[in-house]
Amino acid sequence: MLKNLCQKMFGRSLWVYHANSGGCNGCDIEVLNVLTPYYDVERFGIKLVGSPRHADVMLCQGPAMHSTARALKRAYDAMPAPKLVFAIGSCACGGGIWFDSYPVLGPVERVVPVNYYIPGCPPRPEAIIYGVAVAVGLVDKKTAPIQLKQLVLPIPRYHPNELCGSGEMVVYERAEKV
Amino acid sequence: MVARDRLEQLRGKFGSAIQRVDLPGDSRLFVFVEPSVVKNICQYIFRDLDARYVISIGIDDRPFSGNFMVAHNFAFDEDHLLCSVLTYLPSNNPKIDSISDVVPAANWAEREMRDLVGIEPVGHRYLKRLVLPDGWPEGEHPLRKDFSWDHVPKEFNDEREFTFDEPPEGCTVVPFGPFHPTLDEPAHFRLYVEGEMVRGCEYRGFMAHRGIEKMAESVLGYNDIPMLAERICGICGCVHSVAYVQAVESAVALKPPPRAEYIRTIMLEIERLHSHLLWVGLACHIVGFDTLFMQSFRIREPIMWIAEKISGNRKTYALCVIGGVRWDITPVLKSELRQVLDKLEAEWREVVAAVSKDKNIQKRTVGVGLTNRDLVKNAGLVGPVARAAGVDIDCRRDHPYAAYDRVEFDVITAGGGDVWSRLLVRMSEVFESIRIIRQCLERMDDGPLQSPVDGELPVGRMGLSSVEAPRGESHHFVITGENNRPRRWRVRAPTYQNLQAVPMMIKDQQIADMTISLGSIDPCFSCTDRLETIDLRSGATRVWSQRELLELARAKEVRR
Repeated sequence: MLKNLCQKMFGRSLWVYHANSGGCNGCDIEVLNVLTPYYDVERFGIKLVGSPRHADVMLCQGPAMHSTARALKRAYDAMPAPKLVFAIGSCACGGGIWFDSYPVLGPVERVVPVNYYIPGCPPRPEAIIYGVAVAVGLVDKKTAPIQLKQLVLPIPRYHPNELCGSGEMVVYERAEKV
Repeated sequence: MVARDRLEQLRGKFGSAIQRVDLPGDSRLFVFVEPSVVKNICQYIFRDLDARYVISIGIDDRPFSGNFMVAHNFAFDEDHLLCSVLTYLPSNNPKIDSISDVVPAANWAEREMRDLVGIEPVGHRYLKRLVLPDGWPEGEHPLRKDFSWDHVPKEFNDEREFTFDEPPEGCTVVPFGPFHPTLDEPAHFRLYVEGEMVRGCEYRGFMAHRGIEKMAESVLGYNDIPMLAERICGICGCVHSVAYVQAVESAVALKPPPRAEYIRTIMLEIERLHSHLLWVGLACHIVGFDTLFMQSFRIREPIMWIAEKISGNRKTYALCVIGGVRWDITPVLKSELRQVLDKLEAEWREVVAAVSKDKNIQKRTVGVGLTNRDLVKNAGLVGPVARAAGVDIDCRRDHPYAAYDRVEFDVITAGGGDVWSRLLVRMSEVFESIRIIRQCLERMDDGPLQSPVDGELPVGRMGLSSVEAPRGESHHFVITGENNRPRRWRVRAPTYQNLQAVPMMIKDQQIADMTISLGSIDPCFSCTDRLETIDLRSGATRVWSQRELLELARAKEVRR
């Protein structure tokens, strides 16, 4: 349904705005790479713009940080509707390796609503193009979400006080498709 | 024997105040002094002995020695010597004389020390918050050992705004960032503008502070940290991972096998190639020469592909482990890399010819963003920014590491000190990198990739390492510790020093030149902000049953 909606609303060229809210730069460069001759997304009508007020899509890179959350929210609010948000890279999708560190708020979805996730550290330029192409309906999705019937996280968090030193095996509940 | 000579000089001047000296080799010197003479000794080293200031480090050493520690690091580039001046501070009163009026480059490092470790630099003229977010309560210092890496204080106030200084009389404030088209990363500048001219600015950055040093000190192990170090920065990641590994190796006197050293050198130079090509492209983009932006990215792409063939990833190479490297360069890859270099060299010559004759670029860059030797010395500038001002420093030659002592290359310098000189220096360094990689490929012998590490690494040793990143010197300081992780790890990225000089560079320049002046230091805010946190909480390890773990996990779920 989202796909149909997207095709209807973003039928022509997409203008994207990229916001790095505190990541390492890796995803940024890959996004830049996507705009340059080898990958060249301008053939799909995708163009990078400098202001959120001109943009249809916001590309978020890096985890949401306490210090940038407000600015990120403001940039999102400045975009005219309809708008889409892509979380690019592991940090934006799930917080990355610093998801629970003291200055980090977590994935960007804590601050702005995210429509599409493109994971990877950093995602390859092909992956970014593919993600955007799926979103605007140029290609079909190759995967579908499944829900796992699993109530708790079976892996102990790696904290010195919580380390499992007994050698006991942690048994996973069998994953089932629902 | 230079280290001994320097030590004799210090002894002659401050004999009784020197408590202890560690001299692990001819290129490293650790001097423990009394807190009262720290300022004088730093002044003597910086001014009279003409050393280059590197970084100041605050360390919470209470669980081990019961004291706080402060280290000021200096580099004697001509003597190939890295020197650290350390002092212990009482745990109930962590105060030290600020050295920032004799060593201006220490400004940020001391403010950071105050923010994160809570060591008060007495006499610092501008003690404003630097690193922590605006709403962070006073008195909470994340790098102290009793602070958990995932703890956000209850008093944290999301609503609080940063208080900026009053602009000078007659100036308008132009905010720049945190999300700005020419900034790839978040940072906020408030420019004080009079008409078209910038009269000053205030910087509020450290928005990409992710608590990396703290995580390394509290949750990761020695061999996990290179991966984390790589993610300090997406462009010069390999530099950080090599610098960290070398710091640990120098602390525990472990030598990687020669083949590993050559492979590290090759990967570092591949990274320099892709970074310089990227930078030249971005600089041209900033001044509006988009054709060249596209061209240099096109030329750069094969470098990314060959890096992927060697390491399996385009950016994060996961190259280093303590005592060696993971990936080998096979004969097939060797010949492929040679071909890539040949093609790159030919294409890059054309670009250099195009850029150096382009009048438009010259008009935008000549005389813009000026630095001079004094600024380089006082602000501690490094890398192409220093070399473009005629200061001949390069860690690859001055503090040789990996296989750089076995290859020949020139250190490129220029005299102008402006953006144009920086452009020329970077463009010529590309050819030097190609030359280095070719020599390495030729001289690399067969052999093992890793040295064996027997048992635990010794505890409480200190290591320093400087690696020449594409942007300048990346300096790492490590104290080894228990539980298979360092006690303290401090990263000093090149942008940390270079960025401090940006207000001086843009002063009395047109506001339109601000972006290229800032761009010309190749700023990498993520490196600078990295953050710093490494602390090791040495808690007793508890054995948990599975039931307890499940309960804990559930409790966590609920809490979320």
